[in-house]
Amino acid sequence: MITNQLALVRREIWEHRSLYITPAVVALVMILTLLTAFVFASGYQEIVDIGIIGAQNLAGDTERRAALLAILIGNTVPFIFAGTVLTIFYALDSLYAERKNKSILFWRSLPITDAETVVSKLLTVLLAIPLIAFAVIVITHLVILAITGIFVSIEGGSSVFLVWKSAPLFDVWAGMLIIMILLPIWFSPFIGWFLFVSAWTKRSPLLMAFLPLIMVPTLEYWVLRTHLIFDAITTRFEQLPIFKGIDPEMFFDEQQFVASTDAVSLLAYVDVGKFLTSPQMWAGVVVCGLFTTAAIYVRRYRDES
Amino acid sequence: MTSLVTARNVTKSYGKVRAVDNVSFEIQKGRITGLFGPNGAGKTTLLKALLGLTDCEGELSVLGLDPFRQRKELMKNICFIADVAVLPRWIKVTQLLDFVEATHPNYSRQRSEELLAKTKVRKDAKVRELSKGMVTQLHLSIIAAVDARLLVLDEPTLGLDIIFRKEFYSNLLNDYFDGERTILVTTHQVEEIENLMTDIMFINDGRLILDTKMDSLPEIYVELVTSGENADTARTLGPLFERDVFGKKVMTFENIDRDKLEGLGEMHTPSVADLFVAKVKGAAA
Repeated sequence: MITNQLALVRREIWEHRSLYITPAVVALVMILTLLTAFVFASGYQEIVDIGIIGAQNLAGDTERRAALLAILIGNTVPFIFAGTVLTIFYALDSLYAERKNKSILFWRSLPITDAETVVSKLLTVLLAIPLIAFAVIVITHLVILAITGIFVSIEGGSSVFLVWKSAPLFDVWAGMLIIMILLPIWFSPFIGWFLFVSAWTKRSPLLMAFLPLIMVPTLEYWVLRTHLIFDAITTRFEQLPIFKGIDPEMFFDEQQFVASTDAVSLLAYVDVGKFLTSPQMWAGVVVCGLFTTAAIYVRRYRDES
Repeated sequence: MTSLVTARNVTKSYGKVRAVDNVSFEIQKGRITGLFGPNGAGKTTLLKALLGLTDCEGELSVLGLDPFRQRKELMKNICFIADVAVLPRWIKVTQLLDFVEATHPNYSRQRSEELLAKTKVRKDAKVRELSKGMVTQLHLSIIAAVDARLLVLDEPTLGLDIIFRKEFYSNLLNDYFDGERTILVTTHQVEEIENLMTDIMFINDGRLILDTKMDSLPEIYVELVTSGENADTARTLGPLFERDVFGKKVMTFENIDRDKLEGLGEMHTPSVADLFVAKVKGAAA
């Protein structure tokens, strides 16, 4: 079972090379942008010098850490955005392409159940896409910090002091890893829906996936004058039970803020307990399970001739 | 003899159309059975039912398993090549072997590689870069390396040139068939497998119209080449089918005492292709 899943997920990565090419391209663009920015910045020597002197002498550990935290987190945003687009396209293609290119009967000629196959596509979304993106993020962070360190050194600053000692790398990585694993689970009802559409539709999966998301709530409002489905969809984007509420006291209470560099942490704001006890999260997982089961059923029972 | 496949009253309907209509037969271990039928006769549907790719009514047992409900178990011991089950074009040859090796308990990768070494298939090539003949060689190299008890071939040589077609069947016999294994094959190129088959089945309009051993064909069927008055006499004996060849009448008889035809013309056993035409057209007349 587990060996089959590993082989199946590996096959998905072979087939969908975009799973690693996309984050790699995002990383490349970010690194090139940073290099361009440094080259551009070299033209403003005084400002750079003042910046480095300021960062070295005036700011405290907390401020340096906060600045690097913001940079590191900010760098992951394009990856998460790209990962979302990737997930949508991958999930919609995963059970559609094999029918279009007629390889489905070959795959079904091997001793693998339809359930195992569909589950492998779900696992690719829930684990492979986030983990590949995470690995690329880690590499990108290291490259970006290295480039920054070299730039700072060239400009006469201390790269160890300003960059490597101050960057809360493990905090950001641990926090990011948790967030990137939890995010797809939170949005899993959509992933299940996409897999189902991919297994079921005869043409244009993208249209078939998004049209009902607009039509069904509209119909519900016309016929029943209620907006339960609309609410169910929109609230998924409004309240993510992944983060602790931010305590404003922490920022306004100057003493507390200055006293503790621990406050400058991504991990400190991630709340796994809140996620695991969220009824909405579990409701979403159930919806995902239902759509996934439907996708298995369609793959198994539909006669492709 | 052990039955590998047992079908009793198997029916598969698509809406009101009965693609397979109340079909019963058995396939014994170690046999090579040819299944023939015109386009749309229900061949592919019957094969899909046997392979657990579609549900059907009636009793169907393959290797003692219910194909639709126990497909995974079944696929450990069955292989199939079908024109509709094409290899994915994006995959590399090595990836394909890796994948089958990881998922198939009865597969020998070494055997596949030995077989591929005899062909021009490059291991680092993608399937889309191979010719149709090479793709079939690749597919056969995988299938022949699976220690399967039943091999199902659905139009395996469709679209191949004559050299690849000849090679395919000789490879099949040399690399795969060992008397322990069983083969079920459908094709339009009847003459290609006429000398290979041990058993023969005809299907038309979803019904099985012939199911017999090749050995017993000469006992059951006889073709009479005749003309003139002899033809009129022969016609009274109820031929299954009659056709004209170079001004002569060729009549196919079923279960007839050969003594009755003695002196009416030249007698011989019909070829499978001629018998097929006689059975299908004779039934329609």
